Amino acid sequence: MHSSRLTRRSVIKGGLGLALATTALTTLGLPMPARAAAKKVIIGAFADGGLTPFKEKIIPLAKEQGFDIEFLEDEYGVTLEKWFADAHSGAGQYDLYLLDDPWVPQFGAANVLEDLGAGGIDASDKDWIGSMIDMGYWPPQKGPRVKGFENAKPTLICVPFVGDLQTLTYRNDVFANGAPKTWDEVIAKGKEGVAAGKIKYPVVFRGVSGNPIVTSWYPIFLSFGGSFFDDKWNPIFNSAEGKASADFFVGAMKQNAPSGVVEFDSDQEGAAILGGEAGAIIQYSGNALKADDPTQTKVAGKLDFGVVPKQQSAIAQMGIFIAGVPKSAPNKANSIEFLKWYVSAETQAKLSEAGSIPVKRSAFGIAKPGNRLIPVALQQLDAGALPRPRTPDWAKVEELLGIELNKALQAGSGGGAALDNAAKQVKDYLTTAGYY
Amino acid sequence: MQGATQARRYRLQGAGLDLALPYLMLAPGLMIVLGVLVYPLWDGLRASTRVYRYGSPVADAGFQNYLHLWSDAQFLNALWVTVKFVALSVSFEAVLGFALALFCLHEFRGIRLLRTVLIIPMVITPVVVAIVFRLIYASDAGMLTALSNAMGGGEVQILGNPLNAFIGLVVLDVWEWTPLMFLILLAGLQSLPHEPFEAARVDGAGAWRVFADLTFPMMRPVLAVAIVLRAIDAFGTFDQVFVLTRGGPGEATRLISIYGYDTAFKFQQTGYAAALFVTIGLVVLALAFSAIRLLRRIDAS
Repeated sequence: MHSSRLTRRSVIKGGLGLALATTALTTLGLPMPARAAAKKVIIGAFADGGLTPFKEKIIPLAKEQGFDIEFLEDEYGVTLEKWFADAHSGAGQYDLYLLDDPWVPQFGAANVLEDLGAGGIDASDKDWIGSMIDMGYWPPQKGPRVKGFENAKPTLICVPFVGDLQTLTYRNDVFANGAPKTWDEVIAKGKEGVAAGKIKYPVVFRGVSGNPIVTSWYPIFLSFGGSFFDDKWNPIFNSAEGKASADFFVGAMKQNAPSGVVEFDSDQEGAAILGGEAGAIIQYSGNALKADDPTQTKVAGKLDFGVVPKQQSAIAQMGIFIAGVPKSAPNKANSIEFLKWYVSAETQAKLSEAGSIPVKRSAFGIAKPGNRLIPVALQQLDAGALPRPRTPDWAKVEELLGIELNKALQAGSGGGAALDNAAKQVKDYLTTAGYY
Repeated sequence: MQGATQARRYRLQGAGLDLALPYLMLAPGLMIVLGVLVYPLWDGLRASTRVYRYGSPVADAGFQNYLHLWSDAQFLNALWVTVKFVALSVSFEAVLGFALALFCLHEFRGIRLLRTVLIIPMVITPVVVAIVFRLIYASDAGMLTALSNAMGGGEVQILGNPLNAFIGLVVLDVWEWTPLMFLILLAGLQSLPHEPFEAARVDGAGAWRVFADLTFPMMRPVLAVAIVLRAIDAFGTFDQVFVLTRGGPGEATRLISIYGYDTAFKFQQTGYAAALFVTIGLVVLALAFSAIRLLRRIDAS
């Protein structure tokens, strides 16, 4: 009878064998997903209703073209750090990031994204919305540049993906003569709507500290005639116009919004307009696309879109989804091929048909855009829409400003003083970061 | 030649292998400790003395990052908020945990079920707890507002008011972590000797005298350990704040962990964030050492 003995040698040999086998399997196993399909593309995106038409209509079309799309969504608040870590460490977990456009400078300065111009994306195509394709360059082609990049050649590191920008959503039974033209009209007619029992609040906005509150205040700031930085990166948002906009925002707007607006983010803002409580809001396309869907809104048919109200001018904030391919992408060639297909006039027309805001001008002019918002978005682009300043430190700037604005909003006054405090903090921070 | 090979094999099989085996057995563990503990710690310390831009080190900073912390108003505010949060949460948890442990020490019908129910909050994922509390606190559609409306009141402002948001966070932490205190203290109470208590009862001591003269003094070491463990853990609270308030409104609930996370990952100030975490690590270490000294003093007395 054969007897097997457990010896020290056999334990060591077995252990070593197991370790080697595991290592070999792990090493060989890692690239497997990338090699499995011929045109695999792993897309990273933050969860946002603005991407719903892409997910529902364009991904199936891409599959017909032979692309195997893996769509990985995350919460907005964690994607910047997650993707930056992925790109910087060369982990290669994604082929394509759908960035929020203010993040482009941070990725550009770190030199972690592919040159898409060299990859064959034609940025000179006249069909691009000019302000959108401009956002894909690092360093920027226009405007001030941060230190270290003054003489660098602008490179196309991202391409516009969904042409999102702020527009006004309003109740057509409250603003019966069409979109309110000024902020004063928003408040005055909104109050009449409240008195008539049609709505509960004239306006609703996002008051949460950081990005949300700055996003809500920004179009008011722009429409009051404010500018953020001068051409030497000195903060000038605390100008007389800026202060007037902040005082209006934390004063008149708060008084005409829900009492808990300080804690409101896009979900509460969206619920207020779709639930029939708000008279008007400024918003991106995420919730606006739901305006005609009776399963998503209690006031289907009562919501219309318009250009943002003005004080001096009607300027909205742009916040497009913009695609970048990390240098560490496991399926780089597939990603670039996918982007070429995606930004073609034909696919952009399909995107417009699906109800999403396109990035090519021709797609705005199709016979049947999939959503009433699309022509209004073009009107807003023509009336005026500006991106946020092109600095890699925008996240910090926004944080500092957002905290001060949020404190003033809690108090219901002191918007101008909040901007002074924020401007000092921003200046100090940028000084430490070597801007001057 | 063949003889020499034979001799080497014998050495590996016998005394030589006996000598090498402990080291061979230790080697994988040691390598893991070096890889996951010592190297990151060393790398963090090195990063804390550098200036980073766009994710990469660009210059040596010496101790500038450490010095800058003490003039950074946001850091000082976050530190103060954290100290307040830890002190308040842990105090309430200790008192409530002790009270519950004393109550659950008695044997009566249903006590086992009660003990099980009491530890449920502790085993729920912190993120889930935070989401539930967010649904409770939300001023527009939260449970508290719904209750208030049902009773004819208005919206309940928790997350939009700095003081209320801070208290709301403490309440969440107390709800979630009192069970840990309860569990440790109940184990401590159950391990106390019976004789002194029986003697006290024979002598006619009342419940308060028994507690003040026997239970509390005998439980002090266990209580100290529980408080220190919980305080160290509370210093690192992150998930609940990240989900519930993100540090707002303003900076009212911005704990040091949130500020450090934002600094490191959102603002890419890796060196500065490393200095911040090293400093906090040292603070927690100092806290642990003083607790050990305190325990020794209690033991000695």
